[in-house]
Amino acid sequence: MSQVQIDELDRQLIDILSKDARISNRKIAADLGVTEGTVRGRIRRLQNDRLIAFTAITSFELADNTKMAFIGVQADFGRVNEIADTIAKLPAIDAVMITMGRFNIQAFCLFSELDRLHEIASEEILSIDGVHHVESSIAVKTLKYNARIVKITDS
Amino acid sequence: MNGNFEIDDIDVSIIAELREDGRASNQQIASKLGLTAATVSARIKRMEDADKLRVVAVSDFSAHGYNLLIQVAVEVDGRASSEVAADLAKLPEVFAVHQVTGRYDIDMLIAVRDYDELKHVMLERLAGIRGIRSMLPAIATAIPKYKFDVAPIEARDAS
Repeated sequence: MSQVQIDELDRQLIDILSKDARISNRKIAADLGVTEGTVRGRIRRLQNDRLIAFTAITSFELADNTKMAFIGVQADFGRVNEIADTIAKLPAIDAVMITMGRFNIQAFCLFSELDRLHEIASEEILSIDGVHHVESSIAVKTLKYNARIVKITDS
Repeated sequence: MNGNFEIDDIDVSIIAELREDGRASNQQIASKLGLTAATVSARIKRMEDADKLRVVAVSDFSAHGYNLLIQVAVEVDGRASSEVAADLAKLPEVFAVHQVTGRYDIDMLIAVRDYDELKHVMLERLAGIRGIRSMLPAIATAIPKYKFDVAPIEARDAS
């Protein structure tokens, strides 16, 4: 993961926008004591550098898939990148990390019913060529979770 | 908050537009969906006021200097796993904590800048939490995807 340089003003901008992205540049500029042009320019740079993205987060009450599971995957080492990308493309999967550990891929998914989790782990993932083993573990209670810090990718 | 909050197809389509670009203006969204800007604005406000929706900037791990992400499965012994999980959740370096089913009791994600910080987490923070029997770490070497559209939504600060 590469090093990025952001300064205090960037951090303040990120802090403000992570609470509410629809606040106007004018209001942000006034709050931070800088010009609107500075705010606009900084936001554009942070977006272009893929350090921030603007999106909507909805509460669990509005979602169909309210349960979370962790799926550990053991896959061919030589093809782990390609297999992780294939898993990341599955619509049910919200996060994928290539890991050094007991599993070489960790996937996270949100699901509705146990049947569906089984389908995701033991059908969709396990049937990918090069995947040898999957193990799921279901989150029964979430104590801490930050949807504001993510991996920003092209798609 | 009561559980009767309902959204319709228009709300769903507005949310979809905001997921793509949270900073699209009400007018841009309205034109795309064949609505008026006032309707878009009112719909968004209704969902935000009910704490069902937040339109936000999400930031990349790298923007925070988190160069090292480690997922850790924690085995608990001699203490309720909920208590250990609550202690873990208080640590600033611990990014996510879930109580889980299976071989381990807790799944957590540690986000730190470097190995010195990890040493601090290990020796100063985790060492002080009673009930951790063992930990199975998985070091994230690449993250093809990490983004959740759904989250618990906290009420806005009165400001």
